[in-house]
Amino acid sequence: MNIIEIKGLKKDYPLGNTVVKALRGIDIAVEEGEFMSIVGPSGSGKTTLLNVIGCIDFATEGSVKVGDREITVLNDRQITDIRLNKIGFIFQTFNLIPVLNVIENVEFPLLLMKNQSRTEIRRRADRLIGEVGLTEFAEHRPAELSGGQRQRVAIARALVTNPDIVLADEPTANLDSVTGAAILELMKEMNRIEKTTFVFSTHDANVLKYARRIVKIKDGLLSDN
Amino acid sequence: MKLVLTIAWRNILRHRGKSLVIGVILFLGALLMTVGNGVISGMAAGIEKNIVNGFMGDIVLISEKQKSENILLDFMGQAIEPITTYKKIKPVLQNQDIVARHLPVGKNLTLVLKEDEATPGGAFLLGVDFAAYQKMFPDNFRIIEGRWPRPGERGLLVPTFAREEMANYMNLWVIPENGTVIKEHMKKETLEHIDALTVSSNVVMMGMASGMNSTSDIRFPVTGIVKYNALSTIFGHFCIADIDSYRECLGYFTAADKAVAVPKEEQKLLNLEGTDLDSLFGVDPLIVSNTRAPGGAAVPGGAAIINNAIVSGSSVTATPLGVENGIYNLVLVKLKDGVPYKTALGRLNRALAEAQTGVRAITWSKASGPIGSMALIIRGALFVFVTLLFCVAVIIIVNTLTMAALERTSELGMMRAIGARKSFIGGMFLGETAILSSIFGGAGIVAGIAAVKLIPLFKITSTNDMVQILYGGDIFHPLLGTSDVLITLMQLVFVTIIAAVYPMHVAGSITPLDAITRD
Ligand SMILES: Nc1ncnc2c1ncn2[C@@H]1O[C@H](COP(=O)(O)OP(=O)(O)OP(=O)(O)O)[C@@H](O)[C@H]1O
Ligand SMILES: [Mg+2]
Repeated sequence: MNIIEIKGLKKDYPLGNTVVKALRGIDIAVEEGEFMSIVGPSGSGKTTLLNVIGCIDFATEGSVKVGDREITVLNDRQITDIRLNKIGFIFQTFNLIPVLNVIENVEFPLLLMKNQSRTEIRRRADRLIGEVGLTEFAEHRPAELSGGQRQRVAIARALVTNPDIVLADEPTANLDSVTGAAILELMKEMNRIEKTTFVFSTHDANVLKYARRIVKIKDGLLSDN
Repeated sequence: MKLVLTIAWRNILRHRGKSLVIGVILFLGALLMTVGNGVISGMAAGIEKNIVNGFMGDIVLISEKQKSENILLDFMGQAIEPITTYKKIKPVLQNQDIVARHLPVGKNLTLVLKEDEATPGGAFLLGVDFAAYQKMFPDNFRIIEGRWPRPGERGLLVPTFAREEMANYMNLWVIPENGTVIKEHMKKETLEHIDALTVSSNVVMMGMASGMNSTSDIRFPVTGIVKYNALSTIFGHFCIADIDSYRECLGYFTAADKAVAVPKEEQKLLNLEGTDLDSLFGVDPLIVSNTRAPGGAAVPGGAAIINNAIVSGSSVTATPLGVENGIYNLVLVKLKDGVPYKTALGRLNRALAEAQTGVRAITWSKASGPIGSMALIIRGALFVFVTLLFCVAVIIIVNTLTMAALERTSELGMMRAIGARKSFIGGMFLGETAILSSIFGGAGIVAGIAAVKLIPLFKITSTNDMVQILYGGDIFHPLLGTSDVLITLMQLVFVTIIAAVYPMHVAGSITPLDAITRD
């Protein structure tokens, strides 16, 4: 079953008098449980594509379905709820709420969902923190963690709500290669354990070996796998 | 909710500097608001204390014919209409259990005349029964020279302010009979022209009641000089005379009296006997000597009138019963404690109308005209001040919070990206402001209450009347009731909400995309 279905997606950015055509007609389908990478040179449209899938940016033209729902027609409130319930995000930087510690950051989306008991939330957050290997850092604030540890917290938080898709835009770009490799190993492991679909972007060839499916993008168009 | 407040609280600690700026503003705002409200309340209470307890009572009865309700200090206005029905009014008031006491008075403007002075001065004259007056207003002034007139005695109490006015405008320095000039009681300006002053122990006044019989010039023997405890430049306009002399001065005679009273023209003619005709055009003939009759009674117009009056077997200084038959201008009413004015006005007016007294009841604040409104103006000015303070506080808080929102764009956008609604972000900002205003604003209110309670202990005094109005008496004495504190609390909540609205909007409008494009 396809968890993401995109047809004829175009995205234009107005820039002064001209228009930047960031995406120029994307067609793609992503199946449930995939571990997929989008690769392409800088400025090719990777971030733009991920943002549209993640309901962070909006298509200029075309259809985007996330888990059966056409997201191009939704209002802000519905879009926010899809981000909360269906999608997990791992950003390159600025992933965590500075005033909350590790466990509170991981619990945050669950608290927003308001559909589980406090103990249930704590139990689930504990489990994911354990899976990303940060149990002993549970009480630490983000400022007291390394870059790799922060990305691990972000992974735990992205997964804690049991989302349909986890989107990660260059999750390793700010990390050294060893740490980056470890993060990708972890994501792959989580994909295996939680059966969550992962879509991540990169322009680093070293990272590609972790992907089970690779989609290439250039000048806003997909080329063959 | 708990999550929002947790984040809000930790953000306050994280951005201590900004929190402190907002906190200090809220503290000062709440402090000044509390003290301001205290001063306003103290002022209201003080004016009430001074005017109600010392001069006018709570309610004033005026003639139905009286057009202007400003009957205290209206130099330009019409004379106060006479009230001829006190006999009917008295039982009405006595039957009302809401009335504590009442006092009928004559009150009108008079000209103060002096032999060598072409332009007369002006003074208000109150006509009262001195004993009743003392019972009604026991401690509003003290006698600094001379004494109270004895029962039935004719006399005049001159307030210090009126004495200074007479000294300045007419070079007249009045002292009580058998008194001496006490230089310590003179103001500096008066001392400067002390040589020009004529010292006199009586004052000649001419009533100015328009359309009422004929007025007369009466020579009032001064029995005492009085000093008001507060608001002396306002109350000090009023010389207080015995009611009989007052009536004569104003030409107030009832129908019964009229039979014996002599019209003004005649009085003049009578006066002319023994005077040369030329002086008819001067000032002198207007001044009639006041001859004291053995019983302490005096009648204007000299011996001729006295004879006339005595011959007809009637006198304007009759028994107390007779006095009450005469003309007054106002009836001052003190209510029992805690009776709301609205209730009192309703009940009194109904009863007064039923008894066909021809008078109506108004509140002291209406009756005191510009002074009542002066209180309102000061209140208004303070209100404007507090409002300005609000605006400044709101602007600074809005500015600081908006900057904080923009600085946290990445953080807020990220929260939005992982599913936080606009309302959550807004709630965070409201939460921060609310926490700051409960802590700092609360402290400000507490400090304000403490200040209001402590201020009277310092016994800050003033002799300036405007300041006295602000002080609520001669000692600066702000007051705070529960309702004032509640009002301040409401104002604080209002400021908090107003100050948070725009930053909430700004923060809520930050999109996840803003967060990403930032870095
Ligand atoms: N907000 C924007 N306004 C205008 N142009 C934009 C905006 N965002 C992206 N673009 C343009 O769209 C194109 C695609 O940008 P995008 O960020 O998706 O590329 P990318 O593949 O993620 O590149 P990188 O590897 O450098 O992150 C670029 O030409 C970029 O300049
Ligand atoms: Mg990019």
